[in-house]
Amino acid sequence: MTGIRLIISAVVLALIQIGFLSWIIAGRAAILRDGRQVLLRVEPIDPRDLLRGDFIRLGYDISRIPVKLIANIPAGKLTSDDTPIVVRLKQGADGYWQATAAWFGHAPAPAASDETDIIGHVSAGWDLSAATTIAPDYGIERFYLPEGEGIAIQDDMRVRPFGVRVAIAADGAAQIKALMDGDKTLFEEPLY
Amino acid sequence: MASYSSRVRTDIARWLQVGLIDASTADALTRDVEANERKSLSFGSILAMIAALLFGAAVLIFVAANWQAIPRLARVAALFAIIFAGYVGGAVLKTRDHAAMGEALWIVAAAAFGGSIALIGQMYHLSGDEASALITWGAGTALAAVALRSNPLTVAAVGIADAWLFLKGFDYFSRAEFPHLFVVMASVLFAISFWSRSQAARHLIILSVIFYLVLLFTEYETLQVAVPIVVVSVLLFSAAIFAAEPVDWILQLGGRLPLHALVGFLTGLAMIQFELADLSSYNSGFAIASAVALAGIVAAIVLGGRDSRGLRWVAYAGFAFELAIIYVVMLQSMLDTAGFFLAAAVLLGILAFVILRVEKRMRAPSVEGAA
Repeated sequence: MTGIRLIISAVVLALIQIGFLSWIIAGRAAILRDGRQVLLRVEPIDPRDLLRGDFIRLGYDISRIPVKLIANIPAGKLTSDDTPIVVRLKQGADGYWQATAAWFGHAPAPAASDETDIIGHVSAGWDLSAATTIAPDYGIERFYLPEGEGIAIQDDMRVRPFGVRVAIAADGAAQIKALMDGDKTLFEEPLY
Repeated sequence: MASYSSRVRTDIARWLQVGLIDASTADALTRDVEANERKSLSFGSILAMIAALLFGAAVLIFVAANWQAIPRLARVAALFAIIFAGYVGGAVLKTRDHAAMGEALWIVAAAAFGGSIALIGQMYHLSGDEASALITWGAGTALAAVALRSNPLTVAAVGIADAWLFLKGFDYFSRAEFPHLFVVMASVLFAISFWSRSQAARHLIILSVIFYLVLLFTEYETLQVAVPIVVVSVLLFSAAIFAAEPVDWILQLGGRLPLHALVGFLTGLAMIQFELADLSSYNSGFAIASAVALAGIVAAIVLGGRDSRGLRWVAYAGFAFELAIIYVVMLQSMLDTAGFFLAAAVLLGILAFVILRVEKRMRAPSVEGAA
């Protein structure tokens, strides 16, 4: 493999890799642009990432779903499988959205116009007895910050309520849109 | 600094002069040396590769810094430009006979691909873990190794797979399942290494698989992992010694399969010994395993030691390890601290004696042969 063929391979390879990356970017931007906006209450957990810089880990109200909200647990099932979970959200009086119902797998009926469904993922082994909660993750548990700003924001988060504005696509995929300090927008994400 | 090829060319000329070989043989030897010359690493190509790795690290750390002065769309565009320029520029250089610089640029491009994945994760706050980002990066790098038939890119893909294995293997907090996917990665990369003619990648893969098996053993604490390793290693070693040419023709490991098999054998036996050590006062399993290990080391030196200095040194290291573990398990309880120093002195003495004897015997016949 010499000469012109090698160069053609290199061009095709570069375009495939760049195309793949662009496709991910386009998908995420589409959620930001077209997704339904939802405000979620958060608390921080802990910071830092080795490859991608400073971030804060975010835990949401909806990161703990009471088992009794889940409508379709088969009778006699004691622990969860590794499965997707649909959580139906509705806006509360304080502006923050809260979970009203949840299903493993798929929702039986589409959400009403004042509600929206978010897709999460539950790992195997959660206790499914009625009084407990399970912790799905939604792929929105991190917020990346400019280097050095993580600790300060995290400290603020411990003393007053923060929120995250999330865009949710029609298929339930969620994408962080903005980090809110009370009513004030700290970081608003552009599409690209 | 005279390279091997220039030295051997002088030798060929001298052999021809003194009539040891005829002109056609000399010609054939010279051509063979020239044909294989470029495969060896030169000082320049090592420097080029180091520069490429540093540049790649700079790209990754620049992304991690999340510097706001440059709009992120510009950062994405810059990384895409590096990917494109790296692959295509590398290919152009390679066709113009600057192979080392070309390969180095490809490594830079692969690093920029990884940096782009990290940057996208940062831009959209994707909370997927590092391990899945590494899989995407490794897959892209493996694809590049196939498309460009590149030895360094194959090694890089193996390195990324190893990083993934480390991350998963030592992730004690959220280890959901054991990283068995590594076996698939290793197999695919092993296959790719034949296409990209990357012997280095094959060596690294075999060592990585042994490391994977060690992780497997620490996870399950069972002899069902260790015993098959020992058996398979013995079989591979036998195949590599008694059917050296066909085996090396298939695996193309430059005749180093016995070395890997010995590493696997010693690793497997070490697992067995650790497992049985606690029981050593109740049954003879540990003693038998130790005897098998020592016998295996001797057999390896007798069968394969002459051809491979590396094999001999692995055998010595294994011997030293065996002396240490046998001492710790069998004798330690009977001796006090002073006794430990005495024992260490005796053990090191035995080790030195054995190494000196073996090295002397290995050297002697070849000197006679040359005279």
